[in-house]
Amino acid sequence: MSSTTLSLRGVTRRFKDTIALNSLDLDVAQGELVALLGPSGCGKTTALRIIAGLDRPDEGAVLVGGQDVSHLPPNKRNMGMVFQSYSLFPNLTAAENVAFGLTMRNENKRSRLNRAQELLEMVGLPKHSKRFPHQLSGGQQQRVALARALAFEPDVLLLDEPLSALDAQVRANLRDEIRALQLKTGTTTIFVTHDQEEAMAMSDRVAVMNQGKIAQIARPDELYHNPSDEFVAGFVGQMNRIPVSIEGHLANLLGQQISYRSDWAGASANPLALVRPEDLTVSTVESAEHGNARVLARAFLGPLSKVSLELVNGIEISALMTSAHSQGFQPGDSVAVTAAKREYLVVAG
Amino acid sequence: MKFLSPRQLPLTIGLLVAAIFVFFPLISAGEFSLREPLKQTHGFDNYVWFFTAPDFGKYLGISFGLAVLSALILLVILVPTVIWLNLGGARFRGFVEFISLLPLVIPVVALAIGAQTALPDFAQTNEVILAFMFAVLAMPYAYRTLDTGLRSIPLKTIVEAARGLGASWFHTIVRVVIPVVRSTVTSALFMTLALSLGEFTLTSLLHWDTFTTWVTTMSQSNILGAISLSVFSLVAVFVLLLAISIFIRPTSNTVAQEEN
Repeated sequence: MSSTTLSLRGVTRRFKDTIALNSLDLDVAQGELVALLGPSGCGKTTALRIIAGLDRPDEGAVLVGGQDVSHLPPNKRNMGMVFQSYSLFPNLTAAENVAFGLTMRNENKRSRLNRAQELLEMVGLPKHSKRFPHQLSGGQQQRVALARALAFEPDVLLLDEPLSALDAQVRANLRDEIRALQLKTGTTTIFVTHDQEEAMAMSDRVAVMNQGKIAQIARPDELYHNPSDEFVAGFVGQMNRIPVSIEGHLANLLGQQISYRSDWAGASANPLALVRPEDLTVSTVESAEHGNARVLARAFLGPLSKVSLELVNGIEISALMTSAHSQGFQPGDSVAVTAAKREYLVVAG
Repeated sequence: MKFLSPRQLPLTIGLLVAAIFVFFPLISAGEFSLREPLKQTHGFDNYVWFFTAPDFGKYLGISFGLAVLSALILLVILVPTVIWLNLGGARFRGFVEFISLLPLVIPVVALAIGAQTALPDFAQTNEVILAFMFAVLAMPYAYRTLDTGLRSIPLKTIVEAARGLGASWFHTIVRVVIPVVRSTVTSALFMTLALSLGEFTLTSLLHWDTFTTWVTTMSQSNILGAISLSVFSLVAVFVLLLAISIFIRPTSNTVAQEEN
């Protein structure tokens, strides 16, 4: 295992008038898997390409194990990369593809083939060593690409949306396999994705990127429950935006006094609390005047159900609850909605 | 007995007409080349005549040598250029396409006169100049063949993957790019060889002698022999290209059942 730390220091990249990366700082610990998550154009793939050496930063540095590698070409950086599109060499067999990095490092043939077979077994393709890429399915090709990227024990593994071309079932399986393999090899890994579920499920930490910067980097649960600002809150998971009235250090949300965090400076005429659907409690009421919302619809999602509600002020929100609990609500019912947590992020409306 | 469906009929008729259009003249030429009027029969006298002609081997050798050289010149120039265009030089694509089209719009006479007036004496006194001129003539076809082939594969990703795995630029080109684009390069090679072997106008205007000009000269004294030579040239080029295609065919194209 040759895993090591990775750091980006003030990395900036401009394309004509567009700033793709804006003084980006990132520290990844040895053996850690960090996901770069964000919408299209946020700079996540540019960051990955700069780490790999496939693009050069206009400013800033890339440090691997404390050493500045910014000036090194990609073939001198000892990093493994798996691409979004299938990138196996079509003229080589699966085993030859996996062994390619070792060939470039002048390993002898026997050790190359042994290592290739070992890696193919690790990714569950021990009998596919002599197959050419066009004889493999998409999922198998990405497994071979992963084996190829790990075969020469890279300092850092870079994954550029490796699952996005695959169908849902293969994608879910491979997601778990990649994580298991990363934990087994202990390779420091950067994983670029625009799929929040993927990022949350696979990563030690998730860095949410917006406009060339990291908006927040945190453990998946922390990111979900304590988003730093409105962008992160809106990008990761579903969020209701419910009007509140500010009363000093407290806010009044659905008739309850709550404490709040805020990402805006100064007063706002229409402050809104950002509330997750599962952080709302819905209960039946005896009569309409005791409730503060009306049930619009109910969607069955398996063990959970989503109930759409209309507040008395006309705002539509949704609440997530167990399907068993949701049985008690029918469209048109008056209900009481309360906040389950004592603190929420409040933003300017 | 199975009959053609109404949907297949137009296609079948079209193919038949095309086949007649292509093969009928060839078969006729073949038959004509075997005629021996004095004996009122068919035979190989006309073929024996040109095979035993004193300069047959010499001019065939010259034409073949020039064709190989022109193909090499064109590939050495075009393969790196088209790879570069597909990797990062896309903004120059329009300019390169314009240049590659010029040989199609400039008359061969103009090219010949340009070569005679602009090139230095040492270039004009060596028939190798023809190989360079043939390369220019074949450029529009070879460029498009190469560019279309390279655009059909994810070249940029493959190159970046190779670089990321530790390959230098040299190893990336030699071990990854060239093998991947081999069939495309082969197609471009065929184009250039075929065009060079059959080129007559430019050679004649520049006052050089190759196999094609020799055939023309010979045809003035023996029309049946000239037809035999033409048929022979056609078959020889076909066999040559077939041999090359077999020689540089990809190692494996076996498609197995996909496992999911």
